Amino acid sequence: MHSRLNAYRVMWVLVFFDLPTDTKGQRREYGKFRKKILSDGFVMFQFSMYIRHCNSKENADVHVKRVKSILPAEGHIGIMCVTDKQFGMMEIFQGKFTVMPPSTVQQLELF
Amino acid sequence: MIKRTLYFGSPAYLKTTNEQMVIEIKGEDLKSAPIEDLGLLILDNAQITITQALMSKLLANNVALITCNETHHPVGLFLNLDGHTLQSQKFQAQVEASIPLKKQLWQQTVISKISNQAALLAKERSDNKLLLRLAREVKSGDSENHEGQAAVYYWKHLFPDFLEFTRDRDGVPPNNLLNYGYAVLRAVVARSIVGSGLLPTLGIFHRNQYNAYCLADDIMEPYRPYVDMIVCSIVTMNGRYLEMTPAMKKQLLSIPAMDVLIDDQKSPLMNAVQRTTASLAKCFEGKARKILYPTLC
Repeated sequence: MHSRLNAYRVMWVLVFFDLPTDTKGQRREYGKFRKKILSDGFVMFQFSMYIRHCNSKENADVHVKRVKSILPAEGHIGIMCVTDKQFGMMEIFQGKFTVMPPSTVQQLELF
Repeated sequence: MIKRTLYFGSPAYLKTTNEQMVIEIKGEDLKSAPIEDLGLLILDNAQITITQALMSKLLANNVALITCNETHHPVGLFLNLDGHTLQSQKFQAQVEASIPLKKQLWQQTVISKISNQAALLAKERSDNKLLLRLAREVKSGDSENHEGQAAVYYWKHLFPDFLEFTRDRDGVPPNNLLNYGYAVLRAVVARSIVGSGLLPTLGIFHRNQYNAYCLADDIMEPYRPYVDMIVCSIVTMNGRYLEMTPAMKKQLLSIPAMDVLIDDQKSPLMNAVQRTTASLAKCFEGKARKILYPTLC
């Protein structure tokens, strides 16, 4: 039934960045950039690392393009796309304890 | 891209920050969902609070917001007023559509509906020769009401005998399941119609003055057998015991993600509906002659 929505089509877009925060203006730039990518649907994974779930390659391209269009003037920024399969293989630790990676967004969710 | 369906059946506080919907449920961590990824939002609990800012953002992103009553049936559909940039141009074309055009479109719709019903009967191992014949001989505007004749035969043979089924809005189960599924389907269709820049109110066949979604009711006809198919599988699993359970609801809510075959391509139902409404808008503007409908197989 859901063969169109599989682990190889679903993508995660990762954005990681180091922005200078020495002056007040730079800190404002930092805040603005952070807010803009949150508004695009990214959520914080770690400090300076944000992730977004995208349902397809095409959709991931859209969001990569959007991040590119709001890049701040200074700073070091990486953008990366991985499939849900690869993302699911990530190992995450809280101290010495393993925790689960964020789960894939479901097309249907019941709360 | 297929948009997400979110269903709220327990108390929640829904608000928005940074273009995301924030979901606050007692005793759980905050969750969030980007509003632009949403397609359908179903509110089914008396203790859900939703902020005005969130509602306006949902509408701006063409999300269909459905509210349910105390019996958990969908009662209302909240849709935006400007779903398309060329809206007034498309409205104009729709309003000025000639009667012959509307009749042809309705003919195509009925043919597709009866063919899909026939395919479902074949799937359920019933005889479908009558329906195939009716589908072949639909006249412009369905002047001989083959739709009705097909429906009589179809409902008589679709469900097993022990249910003694008659299709009636307020009738015994599985009517409740059909109503629920159709309401979800109707919301998906209405949302796509608005997204294609058409008015869901002005139908091509349905013209009841009390109905606000005539066009949605027209366009969803060929899709109804997909809902019937899910209800059939629920009946097979549960027999006579068809009071709505959360499991059944979950099955019916998966309607937007179902795989359907449209234009020889497999796609989720929600995307197929978008193609259907886009082709309909083209028909109104005189750029095409055929509405794209899915074929059940």
